[in-house]
Amino acid sequence: MSETTASVESTIREALGVIRPDAMGIRGDADLAQEADLDSAEVMDLVMEIEDRLDLSIPVETMAQARTIDELCAGIVQLKHGTP
Amino acid sequence: MSLLDKFSVQRGLAASLAENSRVAPIATPMDDVHSATSATINGRRVILAGTNNYLGLTYDADCRAAAIAAIESLGTGTTGSRMASGNYAGHRALEHSLASAFGWPAAIVFSTGYQANLGTLSALAGEGDTLLVDADSHASIHDGCRLSHATTIRFRHNDPENLDRRLERLGEAASRTLVVVESLYSTLGDRAPLREIVEIKKRHGAWLLVDEAHSFGVFGPRGLGLCEDQDLLGEVDFIVGTFSKSLGGVGGFCLGRHAEVEFMRMVSRPYIFTASPPPPVIAATHQALRKVLQGHDLRARLSRHAERVYGELNKLGFRLGTTTPGPVAAVVFDSRDDALALWQSLLDAGIYTNLMIPPATPSGLSLVRISLSAAQSDEDIAQIIAALAAHARRARPPLAA
Repeated sequence: MSETTASVESTIREALGVIRPDAMGIRGDADLAQEADLDSAEVMDLVMEIEDRLDLSIPVETMAQARTIDELCAGIVQLKHGTP
Repeated sequence: MSLLDKFSVQRGLAASLAENSRVAPIATPMDDVHSATSATINGRRVILAGTNNYLGLTYDADCRAAAIAAIESLGTGTTGSRMASGNYAGHRALEHSLASAFGWPAAIVFSTGYQANLGTLSALAGEGDTLLVDADSHASIHDGCRLSHATTIRFRHNDPENLDRRLERLGEAASRTLVVVESLYSTLGDRAPLREIVEIKKRHGAWLLVDEAHSFGVFGPRGLGLCEDQDLLGEVDFIVGTFSKSLGGVGGFCLGRHAEVEFMRMVSRPYIFTASPPPPVIAATHQALRKVLQGHDLRARLSRHAERVYGELNKLGFRLGTTTPGPVAAVVFDSRDDALALWQSLLDAGIYTNLMIPPATPSGLSLVRISLSAAQSDEDIAQIIAALAAHARRARPPLAA
């Protein structure tokens, strides 16, 4: 795991802690909607928390397909490196 | 998992709502409707305080007469798109009146308010452009963003500083960015800080679209909305609105300070690939627009009702979606059961309101949305307040925040 991936993942978990404190430690490949019990509005709140922490704007399309912390992390790392 | 398994959540929600209430609180069946402010629900006459009939024009004698006359002369429907056989003189005249009212070069009428946002956003923004939308925007705005294929970024609700930061990050791409906000958010009844948003979009060279769905007819010297009210019509680029609230019909519109709005007709799929509004709807809406432009008395009456209801709700210790009185008063709860209890208690007292629960609400809140109308009488308002007070007495101490 690269340093960026590790730090992005820890930021995502911190942000998740704001929305669902008890879900901070869920597996990276766990479905956020089902296992962290996040509805669509809460997923959007989570993205906002992440954006504030990383000082980054995450396009809705980038996040639309992300179901897990790992997928969110991969999308954000790609965005930070400027790749499509 | 099979095709229909995805509905298990909705099945559970519908069952739990049905268990806890005698009348369905979502999609409440109206047995009959008698006026702008009265209906029969579950065999009982109620005061309507859960519509968007802010000026009460649905039963206005002149609007009804205009609709009837249009049916008699033009028939019940157009059966065609504006691009084909549905481009009637009445449709063009309504667009002309809307544009004239704003003093702007172009207006386009859509068949629904939902389509107005879908059709406007998808025509204005495309691949390579950015849509920067308030996170609490109506579904039609979010869906319009998806249809546009533009890059969509959400900013924190009513947070100019967050918007500013995002525009800063976009740099030169701000010139290809459309900021999208609503002037009055219909769930909590709160208003956008329009003046600050205008200042920010100007500083970054971006564009601004304001959805005045719930403020058109209600605010401004001629009822054109909160942009007119705050003297910002010279600064805002585009305004979207609906016919189905203050104007009492169905349909929507987009207006712009820029002449290019006219060309949106040629690329806007929700405008092109749907039938144009029926002649009676256009005729009644046009009549309603005349009433709105001269509707000082209606607005004054609505504003008086809003001040009174907000004042009483505050006194009773209810938590509200916003402190600024307006046509929507949202009583907010953390628990769905508390919201449902108030909704049911008001219905038992003969008052219909709206129950709203997550995920259709911001911040996981549950709320009872009370909407006001110029057509409500002072006695109607007194009855609404009495029912709220009776519930507050029964529900204490939890309500005494």
